[in-house]
Amino acid sequence: MQLRYIRFKAMGCPCEIRFFHHDDAEAERLADICLTEIRRLEAKYSRYLPASVTNQINDAAGCDPVMIDPETSALLDYAHTCFNQSDGLFDVTSGVLRHLWHDGLLDTPPPSEFEKWLAIVGWQKVRRTATSIALPLAGMEIDFGGVVKEYAADATLALLSQEGVRDCLVNLGGDIAVLGRLANGQPWEVGITHPELPGQVIASIQVGSGAITTSGSYERFIRIGDKKFSHLINPVTGIPADNLQSVTVVAPKAIIAGSICTIAMLREQEGALDFLNSTHLPFLSVDKLGTCHGSLQKE
Amino acid sequence: MRLLFLVLVLLGGCETVQPWERGTLARPEMQLDSDPLETTLMEQVYESKEAASGGNGAAGAGCGCN
Amino acid sequence: MKHKSSTVAALTGAAMSLPAFAATQPAESTISVSLSQYHEADIPSDKVVVGSNERYDIEVGKFKLVTPIGADWSLTVDTTRETMSGASPWGTLYGTTGEPNLIMSGATISESRTSLAISSTRYTDKASYTLGVSKSEENDYKATSYQVSGEWDREDKLSTFALAFSYSSDELSPTDAVLYGRVPEANQRSRSISGSWTQVLNKNAVLQSGISLTKKDGYLSDPYKLLDVRPDEKTQWAVSLRYRHFYDNRNAALHLDYRYYDDDWGIDSHTIDLSWHQNLGVRFQLVPRIRIYSQAEASFFEAADDYSLPRDQPQSSDYRLSGYGALSVGLKAIYKLPAWTVSLSVDQYRSDERFGHNKSQYEHPALLDFTLTNLGLEYRF
Repeated sequence: MQLRYIRFKAMGCPCEIRFFHHDDAEAERLADICLTEIRRLEAKYSRYLPASVTNQINDAAGCDPVMIDPETSALLDYAHTCFNQSDGLFDVTSGVLRHLWHDGLLDTPPPSEFEKWLAIVGWQKVRRTATSIALPLAGMEIDFGGVVKEYAADATLALLSQEGVRDCLVNLGGDIAVLGRLANGQPWEVGITHPELPGQVIASIQVGSGAITTSGSYERFIRIGDKKFSHLINPVTGIPADNLQSVTVVAPKAIIAGSICTIAMLREQEGALDFLNSTHLPFLSVDKLGTCHGSLQKE
Repeated sequence: MRLLFLVLVLLGGCETVQPWERGTLARPEMQLDSDPLETTLMEQVYESKEAASGGNGAAGAGCGCN
Repeated sequence: MKHKSSTVAALTGAAMSLPAFAATQPAESTISVSLSQYHEADIPSDKVVVGSNERYDIEVGKFKLVTPIGADWSLTVDTTRETMSGASPWGTLYGTTGEPNLIMSGATISESRTSLAISSTRYTDKASYTLGVSKSEENDYKATSYQVSGEWDREDKLSTFALAFSYSSDELSPTDAVLYGRVPEANQRSRSISGSWTQVLNKNAVLQSGISLTKKDGYLSDPYKLLDVRPDEKTQWAVSLRYRHFYDNRNAALHLDYRYYDDDWGIDSHTIDLSWHQNLGVRFQLVPRIRIYSQAEASFFEAADDYSLPRDQPQSSDYRLSGYGALSVGLKAIYKLPAWTVSLSVDQYRSDERFGHNKSQYEHPALLDFTLTNLGLEYRF
């Protein structure tokens, strides 16, 4: 049983897949189908590819409803559940708020700008049926970025599992899904980057099964003056999240871990810790002062 | 009577198990019968050398074991 | 009871409808083969009045195939071949010390038995139905049996109810019947019904409770015994509990089974099976196991054959109807590969009248000790 390792770039991040397989030709075939699936999801939901489902929906904003396939419908149902569970903080229409906060900004934008952009944000405004979606106001946008990378990690893992692979790890830019164990019987080990010390690891977690994802303001961030803010913007206030520096969550699926991370990052400090504790999932959070919380610390 | 009480106590501790939590229950060593072939062999041996038989599922064809 | 966060529950529910997670198990066929060696310990020569003091040696070969047919059916074919040689007790009489001693047969030449069972199962969303037929044949015994059973899952798939019926018809034609004055031909039949309830207690534990009822009628005596008269009817029932628990911190599973048996011949028994399935890395598993058994004697059990009793009055000195207990200790090693599993096990069984919960007056001289070695191989494709 050999360890197969492929590294590639997808969805704008460094990715890797590790799995154990005894047959060279078969391992190559499996690597191919994994990459195909990831590229498929990337092409389908990317903001940057004109033919993507995302752009089809966004281009029709203010016009007619757009017909969507079952996979897209299920992802939007999932996003809807996140919206409800986070009291409106997790909102896939909040992407347009990036126009408020471009790099190099020296000061907060004027209230008129806030009004303009917040007017076209709000999942509650979106009209949905099982087979269609309509963005009622021109300029409204939905962004699958908050769910598709994690979903791709889960989907790739499910693919490998269906093909009979029992030990594998799929890492798409820090959204990791695992199955089985390493050759020596030990669980897969994942290092979490130190938010303040680049290149260093703040914790090394053994993941028995399921998934582990990390949200942080250290990789993708918005710089305002000399402050770094998370790229996650509060859809109600229009202001980027400025609470926890990073959150790592372990959950049965990457898509669930990822959503919990995002929701925690968007909440106010105490609210975030309460929320993380209420999930009863293992987590590690680092706040602005560098203080760590969560059961993963002890590993 | 004590047996019945034990069963009720154990059943009272039932929790909902979500589909993704079934992993452990699916393990071979967690099956009620981890090795069906071995179980039939053992059952045959014990049923022909002892008085008791049955308790779970139907017994297979008999033999003139002596 | 820890309550999972409602947020996590809600998210998971929503995630489950995503296409990637609707994956199903690939349908798999399995072939299992086993070779076993069974050896009974010799009887101490001071317990044998006449005949061989060697007991049975049996070699068993088993083959089983389980294969899916289409999307909703599966077929199971199960065959066994065993060869046996050795002597068996013919009767018991009081020896010079006042304790029962055995009259043994001479060591027999090799005899063999073959059996074949075929069953088919139909699967639906929440249930499965099985129909099976099996036949067993040896030179002096033929048995045919039929089984029909069903299994139903509850909505949440955490509970399963099963019901089974079986009917068996056996023909005996003891060897050398005329020579030894044995019954030349006889029949017996058996009907039984059994049910079980399996409940998932939590993500690490499952409990099954079962009950079975069997009625036998016909010639139920042992034709090879010099004097063995049993009732021509027997009603027996048994209840069982089987518990499985996985310990995450130890990477091992505990199996605990208990069965209580009772019949209208006066015998009741307790059986406890305890085993610990320890994973060692990903490929190995070691399973130490212990079995404790105890039975009470039949109402018509006689320590030694009593020729003064009327010939139609039930009596038997067969050790299997005496009061005694037995302890079995064993170890099994399993090696798992993706498509293959190999296992080797050794079990040592010892019976002793002192272990019995309702001992007979004398320890039966034919109480046996045996060693069972089993090599198993499974191939999945």
